[in-house]
Amino acid sequence: MTERPAGVATHCPYCALQCAQTLTPTPRERLPLEVAGRDFPTNRGGLCQKGWTSAEVLRARDRITSPMIRTADGGFRKAGWDEALDLIAGRVEQLQAESGREAIAIFGGGGLTNEKAYALGKFARVVLRTPFIDYNGRFCMSSAAAASNRAFGMDRGLGFPLADLGGADAVLILGSNMGVTMPPFVQHLAGARERGGLVVVDPRETVTAKLASGDQGEHLAPVPGTDMVVLLALTHIVLAEGLADLQYLEKRTSGLDDVRRSVAGWWPERAEAVCGIPAEQLRSTARLLAQASPVHGGRGAYVLTGRGMEQMSQGTACVTAAINLALCLGLIGREGSGFGPVTGQGNGQGGREHGQKSDQLPGYRMITDPAARAHVAGVWGVDPETLPGPGVPAVRLLDSLGRDGGPRALFVHGSNVVVSAPNADAVVESLRRLDLLVVSDLVPSETALLADVILPITQWAEEEGTMTNLEGRVIRRRKATDAPGEARSELWILGELARRLGVDRGFPEDPATVFDEMARASAGGVADYSGITYARLDAGEELQWPCPATDGTPHPGTPRVFLERFNTPDGRARMIAVDHHAPADDVRPGARTYLVTGRVLQHYQSGAQTRRVDELNAAQPESFVEVHPLLAERIGLAEGEDAILTTPRGEAVATVRVTEAIRPDTVFMPFHWAGAGSANRLTNDVTDPISGMPEFKVTAVTIARASVPDSTVPLGVSVS
Amino acid sequence: MNVVVIGNGMVGSRFVDDLVARDPEARVTVLGKERHLPYNRVLLSSVVAGKTVPESLAMATADSDRVRTLTGVPAIDVDREARTVTDAAGGVHPYDRLVFATGSQARIPSIQGVATDRGLLPGASVLKDLDDAQGIVGALPKARRAVVLGAGVLGLEVATGLAARGLAVTLVHHADRLMERQLGSAASQIAAGSLERLGVRVVTETSVARVLDRRGVLSAVTLTDGTEVLTDLLVMCAGTIPEAALARRAGLPCERGILVGADLGSPIDSHVFAIGDCAQPPEGGSGLVAQGWDQGKRLVDAWVRADAPVAASTDLGEADDDELDPTNVVRVKALGLEVVTMGLSGKFDHGERELRAVRMADPAIGRFVEVVVSHGLLVGATIVGDKQCASELSAMYTRMLPVPSDPAHLIIRPLAGAGRPAAVAVEDMADDHTVCQCNSVPKGRIVAAVADGCTSVDEVSRATRASTGCGDCRSLVGDIIRTCGAAAEAGASADAEGKVPALAGK
Repeated sequence: MTERPAGVATHCPYCALQCAQTLTPTPRERLPLEVAGRDFPTNRGGLCQKGWTSAEVLRARDRITSPMIRTADGGFRKAGWDEALDLIAGRVEQLQAESGREAIAIFGGGGLTNEKAYALGKFARVVLRTPFIDYNGRFCMSSAAAASNRAFGMDRGLGFPLADLGGADAVLILGSNMGVTMPPFVQHLAGARERGGLVVVDPRETVTAKLASGDQGEHLAPVPGTDMVVLLALTHIVLAEGLADLQYLEKRTSGLDDVRRSVAGWWPERAEAVCGIPAEQLRSTARLLAQASPVHGGRGAYVLTGRGMEQMSQGTACVTAAINLALCLGLIGREGSGFGPVTGQGNGQGGREHGQKSDQLPGYRMITDPAARAHVAGVWGVDPETLPGPGVPAVRLLDSLGRDGGPRALFVHGSNVVVSAPNADAVVESLRRLDLLVVSDLVPSETALLADVILPITQWAEEEGTMTNLEGRVIRRRKATDAPGEARSELWILGELARRLGVDRGFPEDPATVFDEMARASAGGVADYSGITYARLDAGEELQWPCPATDGTPHPGTPRVFLERFNTPDGRARMIAVDHHAPADDVRPGARTYLVTGRVLQHYQSGAQTRRVDELNAAQPESFVEVHPLLAERIGLAEGEDAILTTPRGEAVATVRVTEAIRPDTVFMPFHWAGAGSANRLTNDVTDPISGMPEFKVTAVTIARASVPDSTVPLGVSVS
Repeated sequence: MNVVVIGNGMVGSRFVDDLVARDPEARVTVLGKERHLPYNRVLLSSVVAGKTVPESLAMATADSDRVRTLTGVPAIDVDREARTVTDAAGGVHPYDRLVFATGSQARIPSIQGVATDRGLLPGASVLKDLDDAQGIVGALPKARRAVVLGAGVLGLEVATGLAARGLAVTLVHHADRLMERQLGSAASQIAAGSLERLGVRVVTETSVARVLDRRGVLSAVTLTDGTEVLTDLLVMCAGTIPEAALARRAGLPCERGILVGADLGSPIDSHVFAIGDCAQPPEGGSGLVAQGWDQGKRLVDAWVRADAPVAASTDLGEADDDELDPTNVVRVKALGLEVVTMGLSGKFDHGERELRAVRMADPAIGRFVEVVVSHGLLVGATIVGDKQCASELSAMYTRMLPVPSDPAHLIIRPLAGAGRPAAVAVEDMADDHTVCQCNSVPKGRIVAAVADGCTSVDEVSRATRASTGCGDCRSLVGDIIRTCGAAAEAGASADAEGKVPALAGK
């Protein structure tokens, strides 16, 4: 028996937990390598089914292995790199000549490595010189980021090591179902569960909500769109019952009086009628959190938010309300307690720090800040005056494509907007209006299939780079196998395109070189990586940003942020009063049911990768809609039948799953599928005024049997 | 546009906040009678009960240089021809639009001896403003007994609150049942039972006839049936009277309150409006803050939409039922006494053909639920002693969500989170039962792994990936391994001892 090659230490290709993996090359097998979990502070060796099967995507049957160019008959033909890149560069120059630099736009992704995200932002600003770049993180973390930035002057995701959760008496989770989306995370909730302190707020009795069952904690199931009311009521109770940490509030925050007044109108009995949670349960929850807080001698408490409450047109305000509650309890910037949004995408954190966002430059700098422009332009060796200003957030960007004055060409990297963006039918229309769509992808995703040119790229185990996980920890992605065919890294592609568009330098292919430049660009910014090097990471150092460069002893990174001060001019956290408003598309006569959307364990985001893994597909083969038995009975739906769901945006058909684990006024659809079962054909593209986050998580919907026999009209249909 | 708002309470202040936020042209003068900035009057009973610190009552106010707020300055005259309001300090405020938000005052019943030259007899009080609440709280250290007059929502809250503070409380009520506007007798009896358990003595069909004092301080009350009740406190919760005196003097038509149309405007003066407790709209005033807030919002909506007509009080859609007012939810805030009513409740025509009224009474544990359904929608409910049901029904009622085809489902089980399947014993688990959610591993595959020779959880994990995700099923996998082993053993010995293998693992 021949000895196996040594394993390569890397991390999972999927979510922001970035579970550690060991990849062992298996040159003679069907798959090029074998995956195993590796001990690490976040996943402690655990992997979910997605992670275990991740090697399958390397050899997806329809993996794109050479550039593809659309043919006159609507199909694709293989092409060489030179032909494809020359074609793209030529078209770009032509469109720029006709319509100016704003004719070209870029749409990035939160799954790209830090190096790629950085290079993409630089490519937009230096080569294309277009303001129009944004990314799918807008659909993910933008509300949480906006709320953290305005409260703390900084957004580090979890401002503490994940493992800290284990020591707390209470963990309040709003709108996150990590039991399904990032299962190994659940290990860190064991302590709170043992002590009866896990509180899960979710309209569904999710896998995560079930972890709080019995004497392990509480599950609050609010009416969709009312998480904000739960938070305002909890804060009301904490203040009204004298449970707040007044000393902390006095010393470390500003704005308490405004917040106190703003929650005065949300007494529990009023909140109850809006959110559907009994007033007494709100009280007992507030007391549970207070008892866990340091001011009352508890071992600590954490408030965690997820997309369920952030993907709302009041998402930023929702997160602000969560922050206000945590501040009232004196949790933030204290070891053993804290607040944090649970980042979703693999590099959702790093992806929002290095310039993919329409208004940002590397290091989490604002593109409107003259000092930031000067610094970054210096690193890039360009005149600050040549840097474009801010663009527009994702939903507006997508909507503007091909319209009068809008971009005529779009580059898509690491995103499948046809499935993952709200109001999906409208997104397809937008992409069809373009003169040029270039999609870099592993597989012919639904978005790639609309492209004029598809560029095959490397992924995960085929490349080197860094990711920044949900705790702001910078980790190494390492190569374990070669990419098939002609697939190349985006770093190489961007360099080649830059050269063809007249920029000869500044776009190296080597990730370590890119990282070093990115670290310099980030120096002095909020997300300061300048003290981090591949060498330090490869030596096994655990580094969470900020980690500035030093002259002497290297900076050890910052596991816990805000221990001394917040990153605001006066060092205090800003409490900002917020209030609740109903969803933009609320239930009404004709659409009396709420639709909420979310995920299943076996699929990741738009499913472009996971739908190509047989084992995952077998477990979750198709779109479905969860319906409570009472609702199913009233509108005449049975398990396994097709239901048709309709909103003003579109129509979807999905298989009915009858379950008591959902409110009777609500139905749930996962959004991983394209076509007739695509949940995002229904979702509302109204956005949060601050973050640009779409309201994925709640809309009114009409639901009925896909075909109703002529003779029988189900009881109650007249009012549905 | 110059707007003068008379009244700086919960309704007036919120209206002003909303107005200046949405109408950039509006300049507002607010005249507030009380010294305090607006505060949450609904929570005064919680202050009395000791559940809420008074500092947390202050409410948000408009933050705009287009708002001028005068506190402690009541309006004393309205000149509708000149369109000015004169305040007690002599200030004259011209208006294009005038909004009355003067609220209501506590009704003081005619009780012999309660009113003195210097106000109410010390020990006797109403509970209408912050000063009242602080007065009652201030008297508590020396008080052992209290009489609460009136068993409406406020009376119940005060009675239970004082009882929770350890006072011996007698609740005196003129009608034959509690909250007679909202509760029928069955529900009232059950609520009364709960009150007795909380230490509140309930006396119905009587009232307080006179108060007795010792050295100028309340010492007892005499009821209309002649009974004397020793007491240190008398809190009169005998309803409210809309504050309409100023409007009346200005010649505006008033009945109980200031008459306004569906547009919240006075029928005789297009410049004058009234919202909140002082107003008497066509559907009548409910005395609930939700109604006042809804009116304020509708008024702002109408003004900013270039004088579009004010929307009806509710968007009734196809169900044009008069009773369906989503703001009409009455909720008693009392620890240990859960009473919620909405829409149709108490006495109504149960024989009405369009209505389905389903009720459940469970006096032994103090529970009563009645739901009233019309055309597939919940149009009324009465809930005593069932928190989960109350919250689900009120969320459903305020949104006009459709009910299950059999309304009984609204009562017999909570609507969410119920019906959890009983835990399945390992032995009874089907082979396709998913044991490890994170890796979709069914029981059958674990059993097979054991059959293949795995003897520990780690070995099974390696073979099947079970419990390699969140790890939550680790102990379950252990149980399955043990039952497999025991079953194997039992199976081996079953022939000899004649035991039933299926029971072996228990």
